Amino acid sequence: MPAYYSWTTDKKQKHKEVSHSFEVNVHPLKENTIQYVTNTSKSFCENLQKWSLPFEELDPLLRFEKMNLDKDNLPLEIDKPKKSCYQQSWHTKRIFILNKYTTGEKLTIVSSYLPGGEKTLIRQVSNLNEKVKHRLEQLDDFDESSIRKTMGLSQQEFVTKVLMLDGEIKKAWDSEQRVKAFKIAIQCSKLLSDVNVMQFYPSKFVLISDVLDNFGLLVFERLKHKSFGNKKLNFDDIDPNTVPELAKETCQNWIYKMASIRELLPRLYMEMALLPCYVFLSKEDIKSSIERLTKMIRGIGNPLVAVYIRLYLCNVASKLYQGCEKVFYDNLNEFIEDYQQVFHNTMLKKYGAQLLTADQYLNLYTPAVGWMLFGTVNLDTDKIALLDELLKKCEKLEHSELLLSCLVAAFDSPTIIQKSTKILEMISKNIDGMVIAHQVLSSLGSHLCSVKSYQQLSSDVLSETWLTLACKMNTTTANFLLVLEPWIEFACLQLSSQQINVILRVTIRVMIKSKQPADQYSTQIQSVLKRMLKNIPDVEELFLMDAFMPLVELPQTSHSKTMMAKTVLSIFFERYKLLHIDDPIVLADLMRLCRILHDSINAVTVEDESKVCADLINKLVVMCYCDALEEQLGFYVECRGAFIKLDSVLVTLVHAVNALASRAMSKECAAPGGPAVRACAAYCFITVPSLSCAFTRASLYLLSGQVALRNNCIGQAEANFKALVSMIPEIPEYIHEDGQRKPSHERILGLISNLLSTLLVLPDNVDSNTKAYILSGLIKVMERVFWSKTEQLYYSTLLRILDVLCEMTQENYAYHINTVISNDGLYGSDEEFIKSMESHATNICEELLVVLKALGDAKETKKQYNLALELFWRIIRRGDLEQTPMLILANKLWMLSQKLQESDGKCARSMLSALQDSAPRRHLLEILNENMI
Amino acid sequence: MTTNLSINLKRASKGYYEGENLTGVVVVDSSFGDIRHEGLTLTLEGSVNLQVSSKNAGLFDAFSSNIKPITLINTSLELAPAGKIPVGVTEIPFEIPLKGRPTSAGPGLLETYHGVFVNVLYTIKCSMKRSFLNKPLNTSCQFFVQHKPQDPPPLKPVRCEITPNSIRASAAATRASMPHFQLYAEIDSTVCALDKPITGKIRVDECSVGIKSIELQLVRVETCGSAEGFSRDATEIQNIQVGDGDVCRSRDIPLYMVLPRLFTCPTTTTHNFNIEFELNIAVIFEDNYLITENFPILLLRCR
Repeated sequence: MPAYYSWTTDKKQKHKEVSHSFEVNVHPLKENTIQYVTNTSKSFCENLQKWSLPFEELDPLLRFEKMNLDKDNLPLEIDKPKKSCYQQSWHTKRIFILNKYTTGEKLTIVSSYLPGGEKTLIRQVSNLNEKVKHRLEQLDDFDESSIRKTMGLSQQEFVTKVLMLDGEIKKAWDSEQRVKAFKIAIQCSKLLSDVNVMQFYPSKFVLISDVLDNFGLLVFERLKHKSFGNKKLNFDDIDPNTVPELAKETCQNWIYKMASIRELLPRLYMEMALLPCYVFLSKEDIKSSIERLTKMIRGIGNPLVAVYIRLYLCNVASKLYQGCEKVFYDNLNEFIEDYQQVFHNTMLKKYGAQLLTADQYLNLYTPAVGWMLFGTVNLDTDKIALLDELLKKCEKLEHSELLLSCLVAAFDSPTIIQKSTKILEMISKNIDGMVIAHQVLSSLGSHLCSVKSYQQLSSDVLSETWLTLACKMNTTTANFLLVLEPWIEFACLQLSSQQINVILRVTIRVMIKSKQPADQYSTQIQSVLKRMLKNIPDVEELFLMDAFMPLVELPQTSHSKTMMAKTVLSIFFERYKLLHIDDPIVLADLMRLCRILHDSINAVTVEDESKVCADLINKLVVMCYCDALEEQLGFYVECRGAFIKLDSVLVTLVHAVNALASRAMSKECAAPGGPAVRACAAYCFITVPSLSCAFTRASLYLLSGQVALRNNCIGQAEANFKALVSMIPEIPEYIHEDGQRKPSHERILGLISNLLSTLLVLPDNVDSNTKAYILSGLIKVMERVFWSKTEQLYYSTLLRILDVLCEMTQENYAYHINTVISNDGLYGSDEEFIKSMESHATNICEELLVVLKALGDAKETKKQYNLALELFWRIIRRGDLEQTPMLILANKLWMLSQKLQESDGKCARSMLSALQDSAPRRHLLEILNENMI
Repeated sequence: MTTNLSINLKRASKGYYEGENLTGVVVVDSSFGDIRHEGLTLTLEGSVNLQVSSKNAGLFDAFSSNIKPITLINTSLELAPAGKIPVGVTEIPFEIPLKGRPTSAGPGLLETYHGVFVNVLYTIKCSMKRSFLNKPLNTSCQFFVQHKPQDPPPLKPVRCEITPNSIRASAAATRASMPHFQLYAEIDSTVCALDKPITGKIRVDECSVGIKSIELQLVRVETCGSAEGFSRDATEIQNIQVGDGDVCRSRDIPLYMVLPRLFTCPTTTTHNFNIEFELNIAVIFEDNYLITENFPILLLRCR
């Protein structure tokens, strides 16, 4: 069927119809676009943070620190403490202790009930005598003498063993061996008298107190069952008067048994574990017993053991009745009375022998003292008076730092702030001897941060006192940074930037004086920076301080440098509210950080990582703003040189330069086609080829070409389009995006359509002989493109080229660019030009007929039908129907479509109805109707 | 064929005062059929068993180390005449008055007491006589006798200071080598109620060496004998630690001891034997040097 039909275009009259139009001075999409950009960048940033969060935390210990901070906030939230509140907060505290106090030392467990340690007697029992002997031996096994020591346990093994003992208690209890269960519990509590491997003691206490709690619960539940059967009763509902005598007797027996334990520590622990059972005898007994126990703990000589048994007593009491704060308070006072025991010579020797430092040793006490304070703070008294009282006690003590540090940590911020001057005074008096001054200072600092405006005392004085203290503190750099962290936040919130600068300078001096590489503190410096960036009212100000950048660049290894840069940049962009950055100092600093970030990327960097970096750098590129055009272009040139590894940054740069060119035009500070815009166009043309993704390259070529065209840089525009046309065959069928392979057809079609509509207004290069140079190039490319002929992409492209060709022959084009004279003006409907266009059209039409045939052969009837109609439509709308070849072709296409009859023909019928408007079309209609009949 | 005989006392504590009635049930549990028996009797027995310690045995060569027990009570009661008990669980209630007769040990019953050389035991026995082919079935059950609580006596507090000078050390030489120390101890009352704890306090005012442990020891002193001679032995009942490790100086550490049941009774003095109690406060120094202070105490059954 393919035959030669020469194409003649229907040349329309000039100004045939004037469409209704009105003047607009604001682009309807412009506003929206801006909003869209800001929105996405924000949510994108949040998304990024969400995904990168797991990678940010390098050190699991930091997480515990965080938990610590969270916990400190607890007392603020609760107004009236309930029984359950103590249990909840204990639960978090418990986990905190278990996580914090760990050891790599070998532990020892002493017990006779562990399955591993028990001797198994494999002996044939022959006669009665032997049997008795055997039994007696077995009994002996439970004697004190047969207790086995298991040494050299790792921490994990120790935990397993303790859990095993807990299981043994339950097993023995369930098999009615209650005395055995009791004995195991006693042995467990005896483990707490062992203070070898001190740094594990708090965790050991937690583990064993759980075992004891479980045992106490077993006894309690049994007594409850004996008294009330399976009735569900709360602790408070139990009335001793209704308890039957038998249960009372059993309870008494437990208490007698407990009271006869020889050693003090297990007796106290067991009595505490059994305290809830006193309710079956008399409720008043509980309170008096707790008071008695509080005093009896004085008998424990080892301060560490004593403070933890006090903690257990408070815990038990908090479960038993409301208003247990008195117990906390009493125990705290007892602890303060016995305070000097903590610094007893034997203890000092002991922790020295275990290679603990003084601050590590003191930190063993903080959870227990903190817990006692936690309850005490909830007392129904005036908090300030309470703190005053405790501070007075503190003053009288030698080595008051432990108590002071716990006090500062336990009280709520408003109270502490009121007393902050006094606390600072106390610290400054004893600063030389203090080993945990950094803890006191840092928690004092974090309290101060929470204050809205500090009026009572000028903050400068406070801050200066602090600074002198921090410098005097004979401690490590790590501790200095720890203290710095909250104080710098305070400074950022309350002080002027000069003062902050002074603090930063001091910090750098301290870091340098320490003569250690700053790299090991990079995480800490990082968190200091984070705090500063997050809290300073105006982020830009930071970069104007002369000590800020040196501090950022203190660490020297590339890894920590990168981390530092990333932190600073991400928080900076998060907090920076303005649209542009125009301060050259800030820009230079940011640029430096971005360079660090960029230089960290290498072949092994994961994709996500470089994406994050690229995103940060992109933000800088977008936000940079200079008044002078050349200057800004210069910045972009510098950026291109600096961030050549990141494609995404290059893309942003091309967009930014294009935007710059448009800005130049709109401000009319540059002449159309002047050097500035030409430089921009050249920049784009040079930058684009270095991108790796062909499709991105293509669309950027198009965009740059369009911008160049708009700015009347026709040569540059032509170069861009030429480059684009020549690379069309290179665009792969699939492009990778977000880790998925996506077909690129739709987009290529869009891209080409966009290109075609631009080509309409692109004036020809007068030097070249070919008419519509780029378009002919595109047609040539289409000939050798590898797309299959039956593909929609192929024939749709052809159809659109046909459209443009037809439009090209018009006397006056549908649209123009203001300053650009398009081909219509250039050739003025020159015969030769129209001829060459029509010959192209004829070729394409021919090619389309080949496609029609190929579709028919491939049995793609639907596609064939659609194509036939589309072509038919083009002929009747754009072709000159007075020419016979056109008429015949239209007729044949119509026949073909009618033969195929793919769809219901609505579209076809509406096409026919469009044939009414002119004489040649009506003629065609007649012919068609004739054929139909 | 199993037949079980058991005694269940009504009072869970099994503690009774003299003059009260002992009430309870005898439970006959026969799973196989009716039981024919020749009578069911219930016997109440109470006696003091005395024993002479072996170290004093030489003085009593003529006697065996066991002295004849002194019977305090012995009553029996026929619970059921000969007859038949049906299959299943049968409960036969009983009630016996607890009334002692005057003996050499005193006018009435003594409190139950488990000691080393002196034991005061009360049992209730049930015996079922059966046809001569079967052995009689026996069962027994202990119960405890307590005196009626008296009015509380006036407190008799004691205080003492323990210093190297107050110690009755064997030689002056040892006294010289003793570390310097000054302790203060106080017992709230040396006359103590049996069911109330002994309380007091101890304070270490000064001590030049470390303290390992502070302990409170309850000791019984049992004296057995007759006109021919007697033996007197002090043995430990229980030892309770009140201070563990080098305790804080100048702080009152409470002394607190719950008196164990059965192993204690009111201080008793009779013709044949005495039961007395003492309290020792022991302080052990780090070098295992031990110093003790002794307090005789009087135990009473009172409110």
